[in-house]
Amino acid sequence: MSEMNNERFEDLRDAYVLGALPEEERRSFEDHLAAHPERQAEIDDLSAVAGLLAFSPHEQEPSPELRNRVMEMVEAEAEPRHVSRRSVFARIGDYLDVRSLALGAATLLVIGLLSWNVLLQGQVQDLQGQVQEAQDQRQNLQAQIEEAQDQRQVQQSQTIELEGSWADQGANAEVASIHENKIILVAKNMPSVPEDRTCQIWVINDDVPKPSGLFQPDGNMTAAPVTNSITKADVIAVTVEPAGGSEKPTSDPVLSAEL
Amino acid sequence: MADRGRQYLILADEDLISLVEAADADAFATLYDRHSRAAFSLAYRMMGERQASEDLAQDAFLKVWRGASSYRAERGSVRTWILSIVHNRGIDQLRSHASRRRTQDRIEASAPRSQPSEAFAETWRNSQRDQVREALNTLPSEQLKILELAYFSGYTHVEISELLGLPLGTVKGRMRLGLKKIRDYFGSRDATVPR
Repeated sequence: MSEMNNERFEDLRDAYVLGALPEEERRSFEDHLAAHPERQAEIDDLSAVAGLLAFSPHEQEPSPELRNRVMEMVEAEAEPRHVSRRSVFARIGDYLDVRSLALGAATLLVIGLLSWNVLLQGQVQDLQGQVQEAQDQRQNLQAQIEEAQDQRQVQQSQTIELEGSWADQGANAEVASIHENKIILVAKNMPSVPEDRTCQIWVINDDVPKPSGLFQPDGNMTAAPVTNSITKADVIAVTVEPAGGSEKPTSDPVLSAEL
Repeated sequence: MADRGRQYLILADEDLISLVEAADADAFATLYDRHSRAAFSLAYRMMGERQASEDLAQDAFLKVWRGASSYRAERGSVRTWILSIVHNRGIDQLRSHASRRRTQDRIEASAPRSQPSEAFAETWRNSQRDQVREALNTLPSEQLKILELAYFSGYTHVEISELLGLPLGTVKGRMRLGLKKIRDYFGSRDATVPR
């Protein structure tokens, strides 16, 4: 292929972000990009435009079996990865044992061993630093979780429980404000719906229902974003609709709450 | 686990990715529940049948699990990152399959519809989807067809040129104009392209 220059780069960039370059041209394009990092932002911007196509397909619901398969594999790998992280401590223990031996031997042996010991201490400190960093990260994340939980508790007054026929059957659903403009519906013990049906959230203002999100109830816990603001709404409701949702409700609400 | 899962529901995707990086399976499950529908929908659009789409989505989510450390917030949202993994692996699979569908049916299936309402009849989950739908609706059909053949069917620009009997320069030009039109759609509304 011809040598990549600016003109050719611009000629190929649209095909590149769409994933439509043949392998050889793609490699050549990426080599040029690596040599001209100042053009990366332009490609990132164009990639964001092309990436919008990913949002356009008709919505399809993956099967629960897919989730089960993925989670089985993830959980099987999660444990060894935890073990691997614990092994950092074990390695430190090993190093500390060696260090003790080295220190003991230093009383008997030559200065060379002392030098080795100094080197070893450096390694131990490095490892201790890594462990400390990992612990700090974990503590930070835990703090974030606790902070988020606290924020949610502060916002309990903005949590609204939904009532209706499903609630009578034992379902427990509520809408919660988690940030200024983010509302989620959290539900558990929901009845299942057939594959060709889905649950649809409606935000109703002046008797006009707006479609505000779809979700497939899960026997355990389901969370779905409410995609319209409830600030000025009168009612939030959930109906069972044909898969893919409806423009207007086609059945009576199974859950609802006045706002 | 239930309480922890409930706590994770209020964490941002970026926080969950950090936890996934530390091998937290519950955080991963929360991410999966948030984005599996979009990921599977894209996989289904690319592969065209359920089993292959589930295999692709599974493959992509395992890459998310194993490669969470490669996520870079400055390059886009977690959702966009996950969808780009689905897309890239989907293209790899389409190109590697000997049975890749190159039939006229496939081309016709991916061609723009004369009835846009049919193409976009489904209810969109959020305003971002609405905006994307509107942006794509502004494209002339010949531009949309080429973007779809490239993005969803994994054809190279040279292959598209052969399939449609168009000069390569025309294919590149339509790609350029199609992407520009989508960008202009957001620009004209003083909106940034979602990332």
